[in-house]
Amino acid sequence: MSHNNELTDDTDRTTGGRLPGSRSVSRRAYLAGAGAAATLASAGCMGEGGGGTPTINVITWNDFAQDPVVESVEENVDATVEITSSTSSTEMFQQMNQSADFDIAVPNNNLVPRFLNAELIEPVDTDTVGNYGDIYQKFRDFVGQQFTQDGNAYGVPIRWGWYGYAYDTREVPDHEPSYNIMFEDDYVDTDLDGEVIMYDEAAKTMPVAALYLAEEEDDPSYREALTENDRMTFTEDQIQSMRDLLIEQKPSLEGYISSDTTFIQQFQQGNFLVGHSGRNEVIRLQENQDADWVEFVVPQEGAMAWYETAVVSQDSDNPEVAWEVVNEYIAPTTGAELARQGKSPSCNPNVADELEESEAELYGRIDPERFEQFIPFKDIDPDVQEPYNAAWEEVKA
Amino acid sequence: MAAPDRDETLRAALVRGLSRRRTGLGVTAGPGAIWIVLLLIAPLAFMTAVSFASIDSVTFDIVWEPTVNNYRDLVVGGTSEYSLGPLVYKATAFEKAVLLSYAIATVATVLCLVFAFPLAYVMARLDDRAFKIVIYLVLLPFFTMYLVRAYSWRLMFGQSGVLNQVLGAVGIGPVAAFEFGVPAVIVGLTHAYFPYMLITLYASLDGLDFSLIEAARDLGASRVDVIRDHIIPLTLPGIVGGSLFVFVPSVGAFITPQILGQGKVQMIGILIEQRAIGEATNAATASAASMAVVFSIVVAMFLVFRYVDLDELGGV
Amino acid sequence: MATETGEPAEQTSQEYAGRFRNHQRIERLLGKGLYAFAALMLVFLWLPLLIIIFLSFAQSPNLLPFDGLTLSNYQGIAGEPGLRSSVVASFSIATLSAIVATTLGVLASFALTRYRFPLREVYRTFGIIPMVVPGVILGVGLRFYFLTVGLNPSFLATVLTHSLYGLPFVLLIVSARLYTFDESLEEAARDLGADPLTTFRDITFPVIAPAVGAGFLFAWVRSFEDYIRALFVSGINTDPLTQWMFGKITKASAENLNVLNAVSTLVVLAIAVGLAIAMNYGNVTGYVAGTNADDDE
Repeated sequence: MSHNNELTDDTDRTTGGRLPGSRSVSRRAYLAGAGAAATLASAGCMGEGGGGTPTINVITWNDFAQDPVVESVEENVDATVEITSSTSSTEMFQQMNQSADFDIAVPNNNLVPRFLNAELIEPVDTDTVGNYGDIYQKFRDFVGQQFTQDGNAYGVPIRWGWYGYAYDTREVPDHEPSYNIMFEDDYVDTDLDGEVIMYDEAAKTMPVAALYLAEEEDDPSYREALTENDRMTFTEDQIQSMRDLLIEQKPSLEGYISSDTTFIQQFQQGNFLVGHSGRNEVIRLQENQDADWVEFVVPQEGAMAWYETAVVSQDSDNPEVAWEVVNEYIAPTTGAELARQGKSPSCNPNVADELEESEAELYGRIDPERFEQFIPFKDIDPDVQEPYNAAWEEVKA
Repeated sequence: MAAPDRDETLRAALVRGLSRRRTGLGVTAGPGAIWIVLLLIAPLAFMTAVSFASIDSVTFDIVWEPTVNNYRDLVVGGTSEYSLGPLVYKATAFEKAVLLSYAIATVATVLCLVFAFPLAYVMARLDDRAFKIVIYLVLLPFFTMYLVRAYSWRLMFGQSGVLNQVLGAVGIGPVAAFEFGVPAVIVGLTHAYFPYMLITLYASLDGLDFSLIEAARDLGASRVDVIRDHIIPLTLPGIVGGSLFVFVPSVGAFITPQILGQGKVQMIGILIEQRAIGEATNAATASAASMAVVFSIVVAMFLVFRYVDLDELGGV
Repeated sequence: MATETGEPAEQTSQEYAGRFRNHQRIERLLGKGLYAFAALMLVFLWLPLLIIIFLSFAQSPNLLPFDGLTLSNYQGIAGEPGLRSSVVASFSIATLSAIVATTLGVLASFALTRYRFPLREVYRTFGIIPMVVPGVILGVGLRFYFLTVGLNPSFLATVLTHSLYGLPFVLLIVSARLYTFDESLEEAARDLGADPLTTFRDITFPVIAPAVGAGFLFAWVRSFEDYIRALFVSGINTDPLTQWMFGKITKASAENLNVLNAVSTLVVLAIAVGLAIAMNYGNVTGYVAGTNADDDE
């Protein structure tokens, strides 16, 4: 029997409303390794050397490479932070797996078990990460479910966000928020044929199909497959039903979209009326483009949530300093900068105290009770990985 | 004094060596052979080997236990039904991707041929100055980055692309054919590889003796006759060569369907990319799909090369 | 076309003359039609590029509503993070890989044209294959292979990949030149006592130099414009220009598209200038179209 590898990728290209510039290395990282050949060696060589201030190499999203964030960290921790920008959690995994250059990675939560299984990462140093106790209880529960081994947690949630759908209020009337709008052409009184966008990613779109089917077929097992374990544990039959649903939906889609910025641009241009999307995209759209005609809703069936998670490499020369840096990412000041960059709330509610009122409204605190509607993204159970991957390929075929 | 001496002897040794047939052959053929073995044959052999292995779901290491599962899954277990009368075939995603790629590439090739032939014909008959201007206008897009040309169509297509905006401004549309999808991909590929076809056709038309054609016309041959009996046979190598230059890269296209397909056009390039580095990363299934595609292209080329020699494909 | 119904002709000779005139008219129309169609094809080639160039001077990357002209898209280029390093990376990769490809390709061309050896046909076929294998497959294959032999996706891996990719272009152009090269010249030089190196320097190289230059140029351009192979082997620290541009396309915000339009226009401009110079200097057409054999010595 062939073991098909692999988790689905994470919220990848999309999480956190990553800034443009796909793999653009931050200015700092670039200066560190100007010549392309030199970059290879740079990260490793600069790790220690020089005594004095240690250098911590982080591979993470572009938001972390922005000057206000880096400066805020360096003000509070006696370390030089070198950021290598990445647009995908899988890439972070591959990088850390292939070289010992990085002290910290910040993949999405669903990738952390992969780091853990490959024995790449250290358990969280709870003494150093003092802010860990402040993060929402819900995230500590998630950590317990998804990447805790022998009582040790292996990652620290940093920021989070959720996926619902956005619609154009000029064309689409008010309605009870539900995934029905994506799958049933008579759910609202607007012709949505060719006006709906889904994500070009199995990890995001398959759960939507599952949540819809859970209600539609009155079969809670679809939902339980998402919530009950550390992986998505669909049966093959369920996967086939999800596949069939998505294949049936395809002709009426405008298309599948693979990046937030494209989503924003095309939504604004009027390419579609309803789009499965992350909340931060919509906030960005409303904030930067004054688009008051966009409404973002959480469907009554529930919404998938991501949280990015900092992990520290086993090969780090300065694990303690690395954990200090991680701690800083969920500290109020640096956490607030990060929240601003990504339009995404911190996992530490106290960060909201550092935000302006208008900011806090958009990405500040949340009533813990609301967490009930959110389900964290997870990787697919290895046992059904093969049919799951095949199903998505067929949806796209 | 020592340095020139050493140079002299080195040079002498080199001259002696190069004069010997065996050494000369080794020096000229060797480096290329090493490159080809290390960077072409070895990777392809490795990929073939991996396509018969599997990937461990935890460590992501290759498990070297021979299996044909990766190939079996390319053709077995599909759900998309194709029916031809009473025959029903259930195609897999891979089969659909191959079919789609070959269909799109065929249409793009035919379009290129039909579009490029008249232009190539005109170019072959232009006087020197006019020719210089036209060839400049043709070569510029030819040398312009492929990516830029594919991107240029991204601006043209889409519900709110240039085409539909212009149509909208005059009160028509939006026209569905100008949205992203298969038609956009075909136009993008046709535009991308048009210059290859054009230049190959031009090269074969350039050698054509137009007085022959005029003579045939004078003798009362119809236009169609002349095209069928004279122009096409004489330019056949160019037609086949140009078609190949359009067809083969179109089959394996990635950028164009990615940019112009809006996620709805899964050609094999995209399918392989997804398996290689995308969400469902799996080196073994990616290798199997790759080798199957290579095999299909080899078969197609083999059929074509019964008619045309690789050498005639010339400089492009 | 059905306008030719003139007066009903009675006499055969008149009829004949009329038909001849009609024939000439159709002939002219067809000729004009052919030229019109050819012109239309040039428009097809150019229209999207012209749109990019136009939009690069527009406030908004949408044609409509038109918000006015500006140069700010070009000013934006300077502060664009990662662009400079991408251009540097692409130039270095293209130059290094073209040098390797040219060296190997010229040597291999000599082997193919000056020696008979077993597997010669196989050698030539494999020398051309890198050009024919779909980029996605060459990229994936080399990625897996490099990772297995311990070479991570990187600058070096990209140079190696592109040097292989460029090889066929050099091989085809240079060996075509060598085939048509009069070998008796070389023999005469040798008979007069010139050693192989001298013969090469004084006789052979001057003749094939333009072909070598053209081969280098082709290999260089192919590397510079390659996206798909680099996607798999360039790695996170090397970001060639095509990767940078692709990122802008897939993350198509208005600002990104504005910058991208400006950069694309500069690329077209650079190529326009380069091509004009090259066409004045050498027989570019000949090398592109493979018709170089009979002229250009």
